[in-house]
Amino acid sequence: MNESTMAVRRAIDELDLDGIGMLVGACLEEGLTPEEIIQEGISKGLEIVGRKFEDGEYFLADLIMAGEVVKEAMPILKARMNPGDSSGKGTVILATVAGDIHEIGKNIVGMILSANGFEVIDLGVDVPAIRIMDAARTTGARFIGLSALLTTMVDSIREVVDAAGAAGLRDQVKIVIGGACTSQDLCTEMGADAYGETAIDALRIFNGYAAGA
Amino acid sequence: MHPIERVLNTLQGKPTDRVPTFCAMVEDRTFNEVLGKPLLPQERLMTNPAARYLFDRWGPVLTKTAFRIELDRALEKRIRAQVELGFDSVWAILDETFTVVDHATMVRFSGSIFNLQPDGYGNMTYMYRGPGIKTREDFENWPYWPDADDLAHSTYRFFRKMMSKYGHRACLFGQGPAYGIHESLLWAVGFEKMPVWIRREKDLVKRYVDRCEEICLKTNMALLDAGVPVVIQTDDFAFKSGPLMNPRLIDEIFGPSYRRIIKAVHDRGAYYVLHSCGDNTLLFDTFISWGVDGLHAYENTSNVDIFREKKLHGDQVTIIGGVGVDYLLTDRSKDEEVVSEVKRLLTGLGPGGRFIIAPVHSLSTIPAHKLRVMVDAVARFGAYPVALS
Repeated sequence: MNESTMAVRRAIDELDLDGIGMLVGACLEEGLTPEEIIQEGISKGLEIVGRKFEDGEYFLADLIMAGEVVKEAMPILKARMNPGDSSGKGTVILATVAGDIHEIGKNIVGMILSANGFEVIDLGVDVPAIRIMDAARTTGARFIGLSALLTTMVDSIREVVDAAGAAGLRDQVKIVIGGACTSQDLCTEMGADAYGETAIDALRIFNGYAAGA
Repeated sequence: MHPIERVLNTLQGKPTDRVPTFCAMVEDRTFNEVLGKPLLPQERLMTNPAARYLFDRWGPVLTKTAFRIELDRALEKRIRAQVELGFDSVWAILDETFTVVDHATMVRFSGSIFNLQPDGYGNMTYMYRGPGIKTREDFENWPYWPDADDLAHSTYRFFRKMMSKYGHRACLFGQGPAYGIHESLLWAVGFEKMPVWIRREKDLVKRYVDRCEEICLKTNMALLDAGVPVVIQTDDFAFKSGPLMNPRLIDEIFGPSYRRIIKAVHDRGAYYVLHSCGDNTLLFDTFISWGVDGLHAYENTSNVDIFREKKLHGDQVTIIGGVGVDYLLTDRSKDEEVVSEVKRLLTGLGPGGRFIIAPVHSLSTIPAHKLRVMVDAVARFGAYPVALS
């Protein structure tokens, strides 16, 4: 294990927002490629943060902070990457369902997925099913993440599932739900593919889909 | 036993004749069902082309001359409806925190922006849109901060009137125009940025917290001057699965202010209740160390276990809440389901006292009828000693 990538890993684990840029720069100066830094430093660092979150040592704010630390690092790395290079985990479309404008949870999931190599297309809040399907069709995304906080808006989840069926895409896309009013029961009832209680659950689910694809 | 005595005894851990009830506010739809619908529905009043034009052009002026007057009227209706429904204690709030800037946008003086929108029942409601303070410059130049003394004066005037009208019938849990310090900061800078602000803008966070504390202290004192026996404040510290931040950090940043705020209420011989949504399991010890007398809401849709909390903290704090609004207090449930859940809560949480049964929240989807069913069930089955067959 390279000492410099270990330092990047440690910076993410310790949520060192101010030190990460310098550490990533040092890795590049040593001749490490951006891909090596992402794989050995950033992804491994995020794994540790995710474990600490699941163990109750870290909280949601710490997850967000880890995402911010990665955000500081990525522009430096992207500037040195060849166009088209990516870790290739796939594209995830994220949206808060129609009728609901809460987006904190969705944004956290987006941040965590981006930091872990997914291409994230965030359609925002109060998004009608038809728009989600249009985005899936035009981008070829195979993963959709739906967020819902309001109990009164859960039917919007079913509308997305139905729209995927109507568009002939149901077998090609995985629909994952999350948010305050959602549950595994609701996921089953609405015909979605998976339910994630936390952002780390969402990452695990999408990683699983990406690995299995 | 008089409702006020029943509630105050419970907050002190003294014996009462039955488990008291608390109403966590009612929205317009619900109070219209209790008090009768207005001749001109709020939605038509606010969303017609003429009103839109006027609000788009003179929103801030109309806020003071028309909107707040209508809002105060609605706030009184909320209190009256809760009392008429037969609750022992009710949440009374003076929400003079908003300025309407155009027909669809309201700004809260503490730095956040909300959509002004129909609630689906012919009334208007608001929903958080996003942060208003995104940079240090935004913070320094935020134009909506109020004068805390002005807020205290309007709080006193409003609550003196409310106490004379309703204060003898039910125990008023009063909240002035002062939302919780943590959630105000969270809404002002946005949750995604709050951890960064806490790390990088410590001086601004401290100044923000101090400013909110001053507003809380002054409006709380005005509530007590008006004779309100219980101060309630809402500060959502948790999500469905747990605290937003490390409890140690929450205590470090917000604890000193809350300790001072609660001590000031206690020094005047009154009681302090904190409302916090989500699963606060890891925070209850912190809240208790701040000195709270009661805690609301123990949301059934979060991971909090209200029965476990009764065992762990039931002798240190009054547990308030438990009745779900996601299904039970909606049009979808059956009356007997409400009665059955009330019985379950009374059986598990009533013995030993220090429990006030209440809806976990207020929502436009709560029908007045279901609240009546809940209150009736408590009257029938909640007498001490709680013994249900």
